[in-house]
Amino acid sequence: MIREILAAFTGLSTTLTSMLDKPVTIQYPEEKRPVRPRFRGRHILHRYENGLEKCIGCALCAAACPADAIFVEAAENTDAERYSPGERYASTYQINLLRCIYCGYCEDACPTEAITLGLSYEVSFAGRDKAVYTKDMLLEPAGPQGKSTPQQTPAGVYTRSVPVMENPAD
Amino acid sequence: MVTIYIDGKPYQVDAGQNLLHICLSMGINLPYFCWHPAMGSVGACRQCAVKQFRDENDTRGRLVMACMTPAVEGLRISVQDPQAVEFRASIIEWLMENHPHDCPVCDEGGECHLQDMTVMTGHTYRHYRWKKRTFRNQNLGPFINHEMNRCIQCYRCVRFYRGFAGGRDFDAFSNHNTVYFGRKTDGVLESEFSGNLVEVCPTGVFTDKTFRKHYTRKWDLQTAPSVCVNCSLGCNTTPGERYGQLRRIRNRYNFNVNGYFLCDRGRYGYEFVNSDRRIRQARLRRNREAAFESVAPDEGLQRIKEIVKKSGRTIGIGSPRASLESNFALRTLVGPEHFFSGATVKDHELVTEAIKILRDIPSSMASLHEVETSDAALVLGEDVNNVAPMAAYALRQSVRCKPQAISQKLKISDWDDTAAREAVQDQKGPLYLATIADTRLDDMATRTFHASPQEIARLGFAVAHQISPTAPQPENLDSAALELSKMIAQDLKDAESPVVVSGCSLEEKSILYAAANVVQALRSIGKPARLFLTLPESNSLGLELLEPGSLNQAFAIAREDNVEAAIILENDLYRRSNPALLEAFFKSIPSVIVLDSLDNPTAQKADVLLPAATFAESDGTLVNNESRAQRYFQVFVPQDDIKESWVWLRAIGDALGQEEPGARKTFDGLIADMVKELPFLAPVQEISPASGFRIAGAKIPRQPHRYSGRTSMHANVSVHEPQPPQDPDSPLSFSMEGFLAEPPIEQPPASLIPEFWAPGWNSIQSLNKFQEEVSGPLIGGDPGKRIILPPDPEQAAYFDEIPEPFASRAGELLLAPLYAIYGSEELSIHTPGEAQLTPPLRLEINPRDAQQFNLTGETVLQVSVDSQVFELPLHISASIPEGTAGMICGLPEMPYVALPAWGKVTPKPVNSSTENPG
Ligand code: SF4
Ligand code: SF4
Ligand code: SF4
Ligand code: SF4
Ligand code: FES
Repeated sequence: MIREILAAFTGLSTTLTSMLDKPVTIQYPEEKRPVRPRFRGRHILHRYENGLEKCIGCALCAAACPADAIFVEAAENTDAERYSPGERYASTYQINLLRCIYCGYCEDACPTEAITLGLSYEVSFAGRDKAVYTKDMLLEPAGPQGKSTPQQTPAGVYTRSVPVMENPAD
Repeated sequence: MVTIYIDGKPYQVDAGQNLLHICLSMGINLPYFCWHPAMGSVGACRQCAVKQFRDENDTRGRLVMACMTPAVEGLRISVQDPQAVEFRASIIEWLMENHPHDCPVCDEGGECHLQDMTVMTGHTYRHYRWKKRTFRNQNLGPFINHEMNRCIQCYRCVRFYRGFAGGRDFDAFSNHNTVYFGRKTDGVLESEFSGNLVEVCPTGVFTDKTFRKHYTRKWDLQTAPSVCVNCSLGCNTTPGERYGQLRRIRNRYNFNVNGYFLCDRGRYGYEFVNSDRRIRQARLRRNREAAFESVAPDEGLQRIKEIVKKSGRTIGIGSPRASLESNFALRTLVGPEHFFSGATVKDHELVTEAIKILRDIPSSMASLHEVETSDAALVLGEDVNNVAPMAAYALRQSVRCKPQAISQKLKISDWDDTAAREAVQDQKGPLYLATIADTRLDDMATRTFHASPQEIARLGFAVAHQISPTAPQPENLDSAALELSKMIAQDLKDAESPVVVSGCSLEEKSILYAAANVVQALRSIGKPARLFLTLPESNSLGLELLEPGSLNQAFAIAREDNVEAAIILENDLYRRSNPALLEAFFKSIPSVIVLDSLDNPTAQKADVLLPAATFAESDGTLVNNESRAQRYFQVFVPQDDIKESWVWLRAIGDALGQEEPGARKTFDGLIADMVKELPFLAPVQEISPASGFRIAGAKIPRQPHRYSGRTSMHANVSVHEPQPPQDPDSPLSFSMEGFLAEPPIEQPPASLIPEFWAPGWNSIQSLNKFQEEVSGPLIGGDPGKRIILPPDPEQAAYFDEIPEPFASRAGELLLAPLYAIYGSEELSIHTPGEAQLTPPLRLEINPRDAQQFNLTGETVLQVSVDSQVFELPLHISASIPEGTAGMICGLPEMPYVALPAWGKVTPKPVNSSTENPG
C-alpha cells in the first residue's frame, strides 16, 4: 500500500521536475530550429562573385537524379548575352520538389558546384503546381560585387568551355 | 578455321583474322582506339595490348597488339593477364595527360568511346598535374564543331577523311606532342561525308554543330529506327527527339545498305521537321479568293466530306516521298483507276522502266554493300556524289578491291590497312565514269567520259556489244568512244564481280537500257555482274509499284471528265510539272485537298489543307532503289493537329462511310489490306514484327533507361505527370519502361532496336554487341527485305532502242540536268547549313559554245526552254560537252522544267523587262 503511494509520488516528482525543464518545442514559425551544416534541404543554384551562374547546363544532375525530378535544357552563351562562363548555360532548369527525395545526388554529380541542397526545409505548397521550382526560384541573387545575368562581357575573356577551377585533389 | 586459346579457353576462329576483331566478335571486351571496324588496323594507339604465349609451357609471354596479330592455329593469348591489364591502363593514363577533363561540357559526353575505354581499363587517378597542351580550334563550316584539345592522336579522322572518303582538305599537321588534325586554314570541309568524323572520332574533337544548337545528352534522346528520306538509297538512321523537337540524326548500321556511314545531306537534312514553315493546323478557305482560316481537324474532315460526297469523281495524286502505306491508303480511298503518280512524267516513265529492268534480273541487283565489294565498275550517267552520295562512297571503296591481289600476294591481310595501302600504292581497280560533266569521283576514275545523255547511252550499248556480239551495236560511234568501249568491256570481263551503276538522273531511258544490256551481256558470258540503279526519291520505287497513272493523265482527266476533287498527298507539284499546266489543272478542279508537312506553292492552292506528319512522326515503309522495303517508326508523337497521312486518309474514308474493313483502323491492318490486294508486296509484312509483338510481355522502350527529367519536364503544363502516349501501331513504347536489351543475351529483332547501347558501351561502337561478327550482319538479320525477288524470269532480250548520235543544233543548246547534293533535294534544303552550301543558280556552258554564242564571263543569259524563259548567270565550264549546257535542277528558286530539252540561249538584253525567276 505504502509502496504504491510512494510510487505515485515518484511519478509526480518526475512530472514536476520536467515542468521546470527548458521545453524542447519551439515557437515555429517565429522561432526556427537550426539545422546541421550538411542538412539537405531545398536546392540553390549558385553564382560566382561576378554574378555569372555556375551552372553550365550539362544535365549531369538530371541524369544522376533517381527520382527523375530535374529537367535541364541548355542553350549557348554569347558575349552579348552571357549567363555562365562556359559555352552553355541552363535555359530551363526545373525541379519537381514533390518528386525529390533529397538524396543530394544532384549536388554530387555537379561538376561546377552549381547546385547544392540548401538549409531551407520550408518546402510546402498551396497547390501541386507550386511544387515545381523553376530556375528563377532556385537561382540565388547576385552578390554585392556581381551583376545579374544575362551580362554583356568583353570578347575573348570567356574562351574556355569550362571555367578555371581549383583542382579538387590539391 | 583455326583453334586459338584466349585465357585458356579454346575458340574456333577465322585463320588470319586479327585478334581484336576476334575478341570483340566473341564478346570479349578489349579496349581500342585506332582500329575501326570499317577501317581496319594500323597499330598506332597501343591500347589493345594482350599477352601472347609461345605454347602452354610459356608463362612469361610477351605483349602484342591484338589488332596487329593474326590468328594462327594453336595461338595462345591472355586478355586478363595482369601485365597486359596494367599496360592498357597506363596507355589510357598517358592519353589522358593532355585530354581536358571537360566531359560535362563536351557534346560527346555520355556517348564517348574514350570514356568507355577509360572505364574499361579501370584507370581512375591520373598523376599528371601540369599544364596541358592546347590548340586553336577551326571553324569547319556549318556541320562540324572542332575542339582539338580533346584529341588523343588515334589518326582515325584523317584515315577516314582522306583514305576512305577521298577528301583532300583535311590532314594531320606538325609532329611529336602537338599533332594537329584539321584544315590548312579555317573553312567548310569539302567532303560530303564529313559528318562521319563525328562518329569516327573516339573523342569529342568533332561534334555535330547542328545538334549543338539544341543539344541534349544521348541518354535524354527518344529514338526509334528510321530511314533517310533524302535520296533513293534508304540509308538507315537513328533520329533523336527531346521535348517535341527533332535534335539530330545518327547512323544506324545496316550491313547491306549504309554500313557504318551516312552522307551529310542525310545526316543534317532533318531540320525541316522543326521548321516554322510546318503546317500545324488544318486550314481551309471558303472560296478561291478567300483567305485561309485555321480550323479544327473535324471541321476540315467535315468539309472534305461535303466536297467528296457531291463529287462524281475524286482523283488522288500520290508522292515519291510519302510512305508506301500512305500512298496505298490514298489509292484505296480514290480507287486504283483514279490514283496517279505524283512524280514528274519523266520520272514516272523512267522508274516504271527501271522496275521492269529489275524484274528481269532480280538476282543481279546490287546492294550498296555489293557495290562496295565490286572489283570493277561502270557508271552510266549518274553523278553519284550529288544524286546518291553513299553510292559514291561505295564506289570509292570498290576501286580498292582489285589491287588487293597485290597485297594479298605479299601475304598482307586486308585488315592491315597501312601495310596494304603501302603495298598497293596508287593502284586502283577499274572505275569508268560516263557523265555529263566533272564529278567529285573523277580522282578515282580509270577514265572519264563527258558527253550528252544520248552519247552516254550509246557508249553503254557499245560496251554491251563488245562484251557479247549478240548485243545490238550503236552505229556511227566515233573512234574515241569505240576505243573506250573496248577498254571498259575488257576490264568488266576480267573482273570477278563487276557492277554497272546507272539511274534516272539524266532523265534518259536509253541509258537504263544500255546499263541493262551491259549486265545482260556480262551474264551471258557467265560473269556474276550486278546492276545498281539510283532513283529520283526516297520512295520512287514504292510509289510506282502501286502502278499509278501518270501526272499528265491526271491533268487530262481533270480537263475532260468532271472531276470534282483532287487529293494531293505530300507533294509539291510545282517541283514536278510545268507551272502553266498546273495553273490550268488547279483551275479545272473545283476542290483541291492537300496533305503536307511544309508550306509550299501546292499547299497554297489547297481548298482544304491537312497537316501531315514527317518521317520522324510517322510509321511507314520506304522502298529503296534495290526494292528493299524498310520500315521507319515514329520517333515522337506529332504535336498540334498533325497526323500521319495514312491516318488522315483513313479518317476521310471513315467520314465518307466507305465500306471499310475494320482492320484498317490500325497500321498492321492497313499493311494486311495492302498485301491482300497486291500480293507481291508480301515482304512488307515481314520486315518488322507486328504491333502485338512483345518481349517478356513488354514493349521495347524508345527512351533509354537513363532518360532524365520525366517527372518535371511537363510541369509547366501540369504537375500531374502525363500518361506516356500510347502506340497502337508498333511494338515500341514512348517511355523508358519496357524490355531492356542486354546484348548479346537477349535483344529485340534488328528492325526494332531504337538505339545501340550495351553495358559499358555508350558510344556507337556498342554495335559490336549487336553484330554476328564485327562489321558483319546484325544478329537475327539486317532489317529490310527486297520486294523484287529471284528467281529470274527467262533471259530477257537485249534492248535495242539505241539513240541517234548527238547532233548539236544551230542557235540552241541541249540543256541537261545537273544536281547539287545540297539544293536539288526538296526537304534537306530547309537545314540552314545545307541552304548555305547550295550552289547559285547558273547555266554551265562549254567555252567553245560560249565563244560561238559570243558570251563572256559575267553575262546573264536568257534561256528559253519548254515555253518558259529564265534568266541565269553564265558559268563557263570546260567539262560540259559542246552543244550542251548544264542546269542544276531542283533549286528552290527555279520553276520546274523537263530536262533534257533544247533551249535557246541569248545574252540578256540590256533593258530587258523579263521577270527573273531567281
Ligand atoms: S536531391 Fe536527389 S532526388 Fe532531389 S533533385 Fe537532387 S538528385 Fe533528385
Ligand atoms: S546544376 Fe551542375 S550538374 Fe546540373 S546542369 Fe548545372 S552544371 Fe550541370
Ligand atoms: S581528332 Fe579524333 S579521330 Fe582524329 S586523331 Fe584526334 S581523337 Fe583521333
Ligand atoms: S546517301 Fe541518300 S539515303 Fe544515304 S544518307 Fe545520304 S541522302 Fe540519305
Ligand atoms: S587498336 Fe590496336 S593499337 Fe590501336
